[in-house]
Amino acid sequence: MLVLSRKAGESLVIGSDVVVTVLEVRGDLVRIGIDAPRSVSVNRKEIHDELMAANQQAAGSVAIDLGRLPKPPS
Amino acid sequence: MMLLESNRLGTLEINESSIIEMPDGLLGFEDRKRFVLIPADDLGAYSWLHSVDDAALAFLVVVPHFFFPDYEPEVPEAEAEAIELTDADDAQLLCLVSITDDDITANLLGPVVVNVARQLARQVVLADQGFEARSPIGGR
Repeated sequence: MLVLSRKAGESLVIGSDVVVTVLEVRGDLVRIGIDAPRSVSVNRKEIHDELMAANQQAAGSVAIDLGRLPKPPS
Repeated sequence: MMLLESNRLGTLEINESSIIEMPDGLLGFEDRKRFVLIPADDLGAYSWLHSVDDAALAFLVVVPHFFFPDYEPEVPEAEAEAIELTDADDAQLLCLVSITDDDITANLLGPVVVNVARQLARQVVLADQGFEARSPIGGR
């Protein structure tokens, strides 16, 4: 892993079009701004991981017995 | 018409015009970009979101308003733009369904948003809106 030190207000560039800026450092909290093309999705890693896991599980649900599905309330 | 091979559903005839493009795929399945929706019940609540290019890849999806009537997520502007969505009336929300021995849940955190006017879709991440990736369907 590349490790760099940056101060508030300083940035780094990933590739040619993603810019990550440290906006504020306060105690153990760092606020980060990201400028990226809209084709690059930016998400908190824990949310990304949660959705990856949920998608894997959904893909693995293909063999379901449809009779188990709850009916919509009428 | 073309043929769709499906491990789950067998061989189906589909209309090319019904193909939904997902330019970024689904998280973890980024290389599958073309899907069709195939009804899975007669009430219109459940469908299969089936890959056109992978007979093994299908997701059961649910139209959320049947079970989560208060679910009205705000689709971030950049996400809407990515599927050329300009009119909210063109947006169809679908939530991926996960099934385990114990429960059946819908992913409200990362719904698929379909621009039905353009047949373009995208899995949208709704961070900070209080939604969960595994919300029990049917209130169980």
